[in-house]
Amino acid sequence: MDDERTVTMTDHTILLVDDDRSLLEMLLSIFRRAGYTDILTASSGTEALRTWREAQPRLIVLDVMLPDMDGFCVLREIRRTSRVPVLMLTARGEAEDRIEGLETGADDYLAKPFLPRELLLRAGAILSRAYPAPNERVELAGATVDMANAEVWKDGRKQTLTAREMQLFEKLYQHAGRIVTTGILCEAVCGEFWQGYESTLSTHIRHLREKIEENPSKPVSLVTVKGLGYRLNLKEATP
Amino acid sequence: MNAVRRFFRRYIFSVVGIMLLYLFVNIALILAVLVGGSMSVPEGSLSARDFSDHVVLRDGMWMADDAALTLLREQGAWAMLLNEDGDVVWQQDLPEGLPRSFTSTDVASFSRWYLEDYPVKVWAREDRNLMVMGFQPGTLVKYYFSLEWPYMGAMAAGVAAVFFINLFLIVFLLLRSTRRVESAMTPILQGIQDLSRGHARRLDEQGELAEINAALNRAADYMRKKDNTRAEWIRGVSHDIRTPLSVVLGYASELEDDRTLAQEARKQAGIIRREGEKMKRLIDDLNLTTRLEYALEPVHLKEVDWVEISRQAVSEILNSGLERRYELAFTEMQPGRSIRTLADGGLLLRMLDNLICNSITHNPQGCRIVLSAGEEDGRCVCTISDDGVGVAPELLEALNRGDGIASTRKGDERSEHGLGLKLVTQIVKAHQGTVSFSGCDPHGLAVRITLPRLS
Repeated sequence: MDDERTVTMTDHTILLVDDDRSLLEMLLSIFRRAGYTDILTASSGTEALRTWREAQPRLIVLDVMLPDMDGFCVLREIRRTSRVPVLMLTARGEAEDRIEGLETGADDYLAKPFLPRELLLRAGAILSRAYPAPNERVELAGATVDMANAEVWKDGRKQTLTAREMQLFEKLYQHAGRIVTTGILCEAVCGEFWQGYESTLSTHIRHLREKIEENPSKPVSLVTVKGLGYRLNLKEATP
Repeated sequence: MNAVRRFFRRYIFSVVGIMLLYLFVNIALILAVLVGGSMSVPEGSLSARDFSDHVVLRDGMWMADDAALTLLREQGAWAMLLNEDGDVVWQQDLPEGLPRSFTSTDVASFSRWYLEDYPVKVWAREDRNLMVMGFQPGTLVKYYFSLEWPYMGAMAAGVAAVFFINLFLIVFLLLRSTRRVESAMTPILQGIQDLSRGHARRLDEQGELAEINAALNRAADYMRKKDNTRAEWIRGVSHDIRTPLSVVLGYASELEDDRTLAQEARKQAGIIRREGEKMKRLIDDLNLTTRLEYALEPVHLKEVDWVEISRQAVSEILNSGLERRYELAFTEMQPGRSIRTLADGGLLLRMLDNLICNSITHNPQGCRIVLSAGEEDGRCVCTISDDGVGVAPELLEALNRGDGIASTRKGDERSEHGLGLKLVTQIVKAHQGTVSFSGCDPHGLAVRITLPRLS
């Protein structure tokens, strides 16, 4: 994760809601260690609603099972007036919970037990989606991408990304360092019915490489993973 | 269903067989009675014709030979010869009370019936004389029988009709009653078969067999209740484990990443984290297998791209960080071809993930795993093969038989928990697919999955 993004993200106030004391403490510890400084906690639905009204956090991590009212009720109450991002946690792990959570308006859903890395990744993704940094820049090995203006700076020269290229780049950036399959990339551009788009996708990838790679025939940032898809490698942060 | 049909068909055949046997036995018995009766007639029974041959006119005198006369006496019979005028021209032992001359009316009468209580046999000779033999009363039964031809024909046809109508009625009633029994029994037998397979079916509690249906319904309810209790129990336990396990995983990860801690302590935290992850997987598998086994949640079928699902399964494993001693490769059998199937994408991902993880878990020394996806004979096909230690032939056989073997390395402490392969089988079954296990050359395991393809 690049430094600039983390700093922006960890400035947000987050509210953690869970009735289990030890889990709440652990959540607190995870977010603190990740650099978040402004963290509020609540251990019941009523307390969560009160804190949300008073402090207006930028992200709520909400457990489904609460002693006084369930998480869906809390979420419904919040959604009556606010679009604040909510990440639901559930101990049930069943698909109905996931569907109900997402239908009620949750931004994402994580089943317990989870790994801290998983939680932080999801929270980070929700935050960067909900509050895009005004001048978010992605540093690559050979170029810098200005996300807000869809521009690439390479060797002091500016190039513009087309809408399709930008859609692809955003998808790859969301999963930076991970393989994104051709199907997922095609779907990001064409929607659900993407069959037959693979050859067009490789054309877009070639154009994108021409803009962001120093040597497009030997890509280092946007690499092909044979048979599977592509991976975007960010510039390694200097220690 | 087939077993039930087979049973009733056999029943009908056996009843028809019994009827045919009954018919043949009766015919045989009647013939036996007839033959037996004819054999009970004493030997040397005298016919009028035979006797007549022994009576001849010699030198103007009628006479009979000694053999004939002896035979006549043995039977206590008498005989006379009437000429064309009805006069007795020869007689032997003719009772005194009988006339010596007969009118044609007398002849016609005794020919059919009796002569003064004496049963008689007559024979018209070629010399136009009539031979009459009389027997002692009570030794011979005479019955005159005469019918009109049309009546005779109608009666023969009538007897045949009665026979066939009877036969038809028996067969019809037999089939009808069998059909009734079958229609009453089939749901019950089907219900028992369903119960044995673990599917409870509600039977209509009406009719003659209502009590049996009600008993089966009670058994089904009991089974369902037990299943639900078990499923609820599993859900409850796994639910209660989730929160504490999150805490364990969370703190273990924290400690593992804490650079201020001693190397040994961080290593130990890493072990706790890895074991915790295994428990997390166990709980997820346990929940899913319970859901599939007790059909708590239907499978959500949707049109999906089979190759893309396979690609995602491989990518997810690679993204989660595969250790260096493993190599995971993906190949397409028909590169670039879109192969669609109707499936629950999430379940298919889980199935492929389980199979790849099975290869990883059972080859701690490392191995190369290849997943290839494509289409063969109109079906979606995927093979996951590794060059690891492989599986013992007897275990392979058991896996292919579909025995509830959960892991390809039973009893190994490193094996995960053993629900993985059971889940694979359940998911394949939920998609009307097939799964087969085989060895690899020179060593390793190959798993082949096929699913119906959407044309």
